[in-house]
Amino acid sequence: MTTTNLPTQPTLPNPRDAYKRLKTTRSNFELYGWVFMRASGVILLVLIFGHLFVNLMVGDGVHAIDFAFVGGKLTNPFWQVWDLMMLWLAMMHGTNGVRTIINDYAERPLVRLWLKIALYVAFVVVTVLGTLVIFTFDACPSGAPADLLPSICS
Amino acid sequence: MTATLETSAPAAIGEIPSFDVTIRLRRYLPESEHGEESYWEEFVVPVHGTDRVLDALHKIKWEHDGSLTFRRSCAHGVCGSDAMRINGRNRLACKTLLKDVNPDKPITVEPIKGLPVIKDLVVDMEPFFASYREIMPFLITTGNEPSGERIQSAEQRERFDDTTKCILCAACTSSCPVFWTDGQYFGPAAIVNAHRFIFDSRDEGAEQRLEILNDKEGVWRCRTTFNCTEACPRGIEVTKAIQEVKRAMITRAF
Amino acid sequence: MQTHQYDVVIVGAGGAGMRAALESSGQVRTAVISKLYPTRSHTGAAQGGMCAALANVEEDNWEWHTFDTVKGGDYLVDQDAAEVMAKEAIDAVLDLERMGLPFNRTPEGKIDQRRFGGHTRNHGEAAVRRSCYAADRTGHMILQTLYQNCVKQDVEFFNEFYVLDLIVDHDLSAGNVPDGETVNATGVVAYDLATGEIHVFQAKAIIFATGGAGKIFKTTSNAHTLTGDGMALAYRRGLPLEDMEFFQFHPTGLAGLGILLSEAARGEGGILRNGDGERFMERYAPTIKDLAPRDIVARSMANEVREGRGAGPNKDYVLLDLTHLEPAHIDAKLPDITEFARTYLGIEPYTEPIPVYPTAHYAMGGIPTNIEGEVLRNETDVVNGLYAAGEVACVSVHGSNRLGTNSLLDINVFGKRAGRAAAAYAKTAQFRDLPEDAAARTIAQLEEMRERPDGERVSDVRTDLQVTMDMNAQVFRTHESLTQAAKDIRELQARFKNVSVQDKGRMFNTDLLEALELGFLLDIAETVVVGALNRKESRGGHFREDFPDRDDANYMRHTMAYRRPLDGTEAATALAEAEQGDIAPENAFTHVSDFENYKVVLGSKPVTMTRYEPMERKY
Repeated sequence: MTTTNLPTQPTLPNPRDAYKRLKTTRSNFELYGWVFMRASGVILLVLIFGHLFVNLMVGDGVHAIDFAFVGGKLTNPFWQVWDLMMLWLAMMHGTNGVRTIINDYAERPLVRLWLKIALYVAFVVVTVLGTLVIFTFDACPSGAPADLLPSICS
Repeated sequence: MTATLETSAPAAIGEIPSFDVTIRLRRYLPESEHGEESYWEEFVVPVHGTDRVLDALHKIKWEHDGSLTFRRSCAHGVCGSDAMRINGRNRLACKTLLKDVNPDKPITVEPIKGLPVIKDLVVDMEPFFASYREIMPFLITTGNEPSGERIQSAEQRERFDDTTKCILCAACTSSCPVFWTDGQYFGPAAIVNAHRFIFDSRDEGAEQRLEILNDKEGVWRCRTTFNCTEACPRGIEVTKAIQEVKRAMITRAF
Repeated sequence: MQTHQYDVVIVGAGGAGMRAALESSGQVRTAVISKLYPTRSHTGAAQGGMCAALANVEEDNWEWHTFDTVKGGDYLVDQDAAEVMAKEAIDAVLDLERMGLPFNRTPEGKIDQRRFGGHTRNHGEAAVRRSCYAADRTGHMILQTLYQNCVKQDVEFFNEFYVLDLIVDHDLSAGNVPDGETVNATGVVAYDLATGEIHVFQAKAIIFATGGAGKIFKTTSNAHTLTGDGMALAYRRGLPLEDMEFFQFHPTGLAGLGILLSEAARGEGGILRNGDGERFMERYAPTIKDLAPRDIVARSMANEVREGRGAGPNKDYVLLDLTHLEPAHIDAKLPDITEFARTYLGIEPYTEPIPVYPTAHYAMGGIPTNIEGEVLRNETDVVNGLYAAGEVACVSVHGSNRLGTNSLLDINVFGKRAGRAAAAYAKTAQFRDLPEDAAARTIAQLEEMRERPDGERVSDVRTDLQVTMDMNAQVFRTHESLTQAAKDIRELQARFKNVSVQDKGRMFNTDLLEALELGFLLDIAETVVVGALNRKESRGGHFREDFPDRDDANYMRHTMAYRRPLDGTEAATALAEAEQGDIAPENAFTHVSDFENYKVVLGSKPVTMTRYEPMERKY
């Protein structure tokens, strides 16, 4: 019979912490969230691969990308809507995903709160800026050499 | 032959030889000199080929260290007392044969995770049962009781057969990473038991149970890691049951 | 120390305890004290089914069921009780169905039924389909359903509380309370395992539903926690134990392990074969063969083995053959037990026969009660406010051998009756004062055990007890073997005084509790052996090779075993030297067996007969 005492492992987080279920919420938020993740995922697949296909495969492919190409797309209402959907859906999908990860992994309520605040601030900043860019993008800045501008500027 | 020589139990089948195993236990004895620190301790015990982890634990408790504390009762996998973490996986000690968990290396035995440890391998089961009670685990019906039995076809009975097997051992719930974080998630076991009634053709309380599990801490926290299905000593397809409950909620909402 | 006051206190949260709780908690303030979480109780291990003459699949009636129960118990059954049970079985099953129990169904959607050992049509003509079942986990479903309904009714549980003493307002242990005197049960003392604290429960009515004591044997299907606590507490407090010599050995335990394989395996067509592949039950019970009652099958199996026709390398078991059944049928009807064979023996039941050997399974005896569940303190007087139900009790519906499925019936029928009776009594009764030092004895006992310096290990004494019981008081018994067992138990009782525990802590001290449980086991073993020594006949589960026939003239009575203090007048003889001479009805139950500082005094109680005259028991 051999008994060996081994070096102590990290202590268990206070093993006798009492149990309490925090406030319950009875709304369909998580349900809609769950459905949204799946639906937005499918739509994003179409949007992102469509975007990649148009930018990288069609015509001259990746060599065609320059200021004129991007500027041209952003003056086209079809691509404005496309990019806007892609931006919003990706941001909401991603933010909700990270929210879930915070819920799953951040153990202390305060840490959780701050991480979520940071997440939501990032979401707002990126989404607002992105939206502004899509709608206020000046495809024909004055004084720029004409050969760099999209054809619609002339 | 005289009756005094009546044979007792026959020898083990298959003549599997005895061997030594090392059991590496996570001990927590708050009343001892170790105090609130948990620590590892190793025991080497001789065992038979057909012995289970529970037999090795008994051998340690009965022959070496009486203070080793764990729950056990039926010893053949139907009472659900001895769920523990064996080599990092949740199992019932009485259903895990030592020869199946690589006895050449030390076998680690720890309490199940996510529930407060009371002593050694014993955890406080109250949070687990509290979640179970919350999902209203009983038949809800309206109207007068029939004078005979309620009629249910064999197919209707089959619909929820899998989830009736649950023995509330907590192996699934305490294998769930989501449960580990803060213990707020209802957990697979509670959902399995809700499933058992939601899909019982005789029951009329599905609406209420779905409402309860629609909670922030309800089925939507399931990340389908399948830890629970893997941990279930009764072979219940736990993750599938959770998905079926989710589907029932979505069809109800739309 | 904490004190509580409840109208009804139920000790034990298995099938009988929870069934009683469902009756009483709706009416009066009820607490259920259990040494395990309720769903851990051993009711959950029952597999095969619960018989009731529903006649859902073929003609049947409760009178046939009564007859089978009486005959199965070798006529030592109290026939009024058997009638009550068979009659109320139907409601018991329907109650459970309405509580939500998922029974298997017939094509019409009714509760399905299957054959089971000893259950026959028209007084023994052929096996009948009477057992209502839920695959091979009927007990699991019953336990879960009862617990679910307890949750529904918000029954108050004290989980992991060990009841260590019963408080009665007279000291019955001296045996000097005159017959007819009113005796009241007033409370119980319990030990909270988690904290080590003592709780005193004052109650108007107390129901014991603590289950069996299979752990007196080494090879047993019983849980580690089935240590006869309730029986032993009653016995120590001077109450008798009835028919303790009758212990059922279930034929099909996994060889070497004792894990139960349900009789349903044979009900569904499984066949027992010896080492030569012969279906040996054809020789022992030509009519119903493998579905004969358990005592007969177990004895036949043991006989095959000792006559050298066993299977396996040591020829020490027989085989349960399911290989001729369709795998799909096995999966549908017997999923759990085939898994046991796979997990524990590595046997694939589709293609290989399973090694089986009898395993200690059920105590037919226990605390004597009447059909209302009231505990008797002698042949006729009840203890007011004390009830018992389930395996701990002896009503006696099982007589000398219980039929398969009748235990699940027993807990439901008599659990319900005891619950109702206790609640009704509690409504009329008053709380009675407890003595100031109600818990003193328990505390002293605990502290003494905890503080005892180095001594013998609990497990050594327990193992020796189990070995001697397996060796000397199992399927076959003789005067010599039982004398040996009695001698061993006396020695073990003495050794028990020196056992010590290593764990000196207060929290969750299972080491300490195992020591106390060993004390209970020794007391139970003592009553089994003394009763068996005295009963010089073979009946049901009790088989004496030196008296192989049933002896109705002398022994058609229930044994009652009392523990009494020594009063100095005893002859210095123990049962070891008991005479082999003439037995007559008047001296058949007059034995006294001395132990170190008390004696076991036997008495008897008549068997109630209503319609069935004892006949020879043939199948």
